Amino acid sequence: MAYSNKVLDHYNNPRNVGSFAKDDPRVGTGVVGAPECGDVMKLQLRISDNGMIEDARFKTFGCGSAIASSSYVTELVKGKHIDEAMALKNTVIVKELNLPPVKIHCSVLAEDAIKAAIIDWRTRKGAAAAGAAKGSGAEQRNSDKSAQR
Amino acid sequence: MVQCPSCAWPSEPRLICPQCGAPLGVELDCFAALELPRKLALDSRELEHIYHEAGRRVHPDRFAAATPAVRQASLKSTALLTRSYRTLRDPVSRGRYWLELMDEKLAENNQRVPPELAELVFEVQQQIGELREAQNGSVNTLCAAVRERREELAGLAARTQEELERNFARWDGGAGERQDLVNELKSALSKIAYLRTLTRDVDRALEGTAAH
Repeated sequence: MAYSNKVLDHYNNPRNVGSFAKDDPRVGTGVVGAPECGDVMKLQLRISDNGMIEDARFKTFGCGSAIASSSYVTELVKGKHIDEAMALKNTVIVKELNLPPVKIHCSVLAEDAIKAAIIDWRTRKGAAAAGAAKGSGAEQRNSDKSAQR
Repeated sequence: MVQCPSCAWPSEPRLICPQCGAPLGVELDCFAALELPRKLALDSRELEHIYHEAGRRVHPDRFAAATPAVRQASLKSTALLTRSYRTLRDPVSRGRYWLELMDEKLAENNQRVPPELAELVFEVQQQIGELREAQNGSVNTLCAAVRERREELAGLAARTQEELERNFARWDGGAGERQDLVNELKSALSKIAYLRTLTRDVDRALEGTAAH
């Protein structure tokens, strides 16, 4: 199958490859996988206190489309507020990279990774705040999960 | 009911006409095609035997002199048999097919990689990356470490395969809630997929070093 030029560009020159320290309180980590093909994607966002995405990193082990989807999505969300990033739809990635139907799940994976990273950041922030106020972050976590597809 | 293209006998949809033995050429699910009950635990030798037997009975050579409708049915039934055998032969593809039959999707609500498995994936991928970039001096040490990982992955794959077989037995025994069984099946199939992809990458990296 032929990859589009944009996929090839991101594949050959992936943006924002790498990782942040996992225990940095400003960092949210999302690890998601595609159980049909075994691709695994780790996406990390460094988010400011007011919810702006300052920087992003990813590591993806999978096909060219999965790598390109994660590379593109890190570029896309940088500088955006998490609310805006949460509303991100995989169709944006499909369109930008010209993904064929059999590779649409790669874009879904990238969308899910962003959301998982934001949820992780919120959960950890909630837990830290709750820890300070000696409450529990459990309710926050539950509501986050139900907001997922 | 379907009508036999050879003797016009009305029959339930099945592979072969019970009246005259001609192939009916109708679409069937993989279990029905091989005249098997819907059970997940299958003996691979027995399955192969059934496939060959049925294959002989519907083979186009046997119907070379028959009417075009019967010849067509023979081709369709032969293709159906092969497809069904290939689907059911491998436990993983059988499990995936089972999910399809249950109208369940493997990826649905199932994109979280189990944390300990994700950890393993990133560790091993890191090692592979180091091996790829390694200079002559350190190749042997890294290669040995990756080979050790290869063993570890094989052991893990074998245990996950057993997990899958236990799930098959539970389905067949009618034990447990449907949703639990579906989740269990999805979890085992996903783990196998992640392990297979990782093992493939490990093998490629090892081949790459062997080529130097």
